[in-house]
Amino acid sequence: MIKNVLLVDDDHEMLLALKEGFMKYRDSFSVQLASDGFKAVESLKKSVISLVVTDLKMPGMDGFELLVHIMEYYPDIPVIIITGYSTPEMEHLAREGGAVGYIAKPFLIENLARQIMTTLRKESEGGTLHNVSSGIFLQLVEMEQKTCTIRLDDKFTGKKGILFFHEGELLDARANDLQGEDAAYEIFSWDQVNLSIQNGCALKEKRIHSEMQHLILEAARRKDEDTRAPAPPTVMEEVEPFESDPAAFIKSLKEKIESNVGPACGLEDIYQDDSWDSRVFQISATGKYLNFGKLVLGYIDKGDVNDYIVLPGEKTTVIAVNPKCPRDKLLQILTI
Amino acid sequence: MRELFNDILSMEGVKGLMLFSFTGDLVFTEFNHGGLEEIENRNWSLFIESLAGMREADLIFEKGRLYIRRTDMGYLVVLIGPFVPIAMMRLQCDILLPSLIPTKKTKGIRRFFKK
Repeated sequence: MIKNVLLVDDDHEMLLALKEGFMKYRDSFSVQLASDGFKAVESLKKSVISLVVTDLKMPGMDGFELLVHIMEYYPDIPVIIITGYSTPEMEHLAREGGAVGYIAKPFLIENLARQIMTTLRKESEGGTLHNVSSGIFLQLVEMEQKTCTIRLDDKFTGKKGILFFHEGELLDARANDLQGEDAAYEIFSWDQVNLSIQNGCALKEKRIHSEMQHLILEAARRKDEDTRAPAPPTVMEEVEPFESDPAAFIKSLKEKIESNVGPACGLEDIYQDDSWDSRVFQISATGKYLNFGKLVLGYIDKGDVNDYIVLPGEKTTVIAVNPKCPRDKLLQILTI
Repeated sequence: MRELFNDILSMEGVKGLMLFSFTGDLVFTEFNHGGLEEIENRNWSLFIESLAGMREADLIFEKGRLYIRRTDMGYLVVLIGPFVPIAMMRLQCDILLPSLIPTKKTKGIRRFFKK
């Protein structure tokens, strides 16, 4: 799971330099930028942030005020302070205020990256799980009376959320700009999630007072209601399955390719693979934004032994082909 | 930067192009017949994440097509109509991409970090 790190500094050049320097760590974390404390507070409301790196001296809301705000409303989010005006007293104050790290400028960007990654690793020290049903897993957490913080990614929309448990009791939830029970309903409506578990729960205040079972059932009821309501179709609804019987569909595709292109069609394999679903969803959503309509298919070269033609559906159908295949001819046949 | 992409933008059926960093920042955009609303404010990071690992992609939609190439800077996304000769597009990109190499910064960044 890629984690979001919020960088806060009024020095725009510094922010861009950090962003560029962190490019090589993009498989571990992505960055969001804020030019002062107020903008950082807005970002914290809108996004699920895993860590904040902030300067101290900023106009408006400074780094200390931001630290106090985070400790009050987001005690689970670690804060690293970077400052060009470092004194021992300032470091003492920052650490006492809850900062997990304190770095004086100038610094090596690799050192900051290392500290970020060490801190972020704690987020998933309890393990990670992929493609699980959130409802079933969270009931297990309740039964086992775990104290933990769980971060979740909805597999289909990429939305992120966070749940706080103390001895199996759900204390609070956050998802984008939602908090408390509303956030819990949103998270419990996600069918398949990737999740990471952090041992311990920094939050003490209980903001959710309903039973977990009730929350899960209510989330399902709300989801059903939303489905029944005559809402405009979402991208996922627009992606219709090509065929209800996957085996028959794969067979007909194979026949179509072989009969139209012949033995030199370069076909290696056809299968359905749901690990492509979220990518296809994002691509479809982009096509919709660009007024290009539904995604029909995509030809993808990843530099692997084979290239892939992906067809959207209930599950993505993948046609693995030899890179030397008659690509344009294949695409022409499949788009008919 | 437009000059760099002139050969692609002048191809018949090309609607525009976008150049993204690997983190989803829109580095450059140019449209032949007016752009899209809020294009610069849209969060492109999920779309760019979905391209991770791809060297080249040809995405065919009902009413258009996206031709995507990974570059040293990020991803080049060309918006095209359904009937653009894709072989020619590939060739134009093969010619163009070597010139899309990020330049090393000489000022600015260094002052923040130790050597």
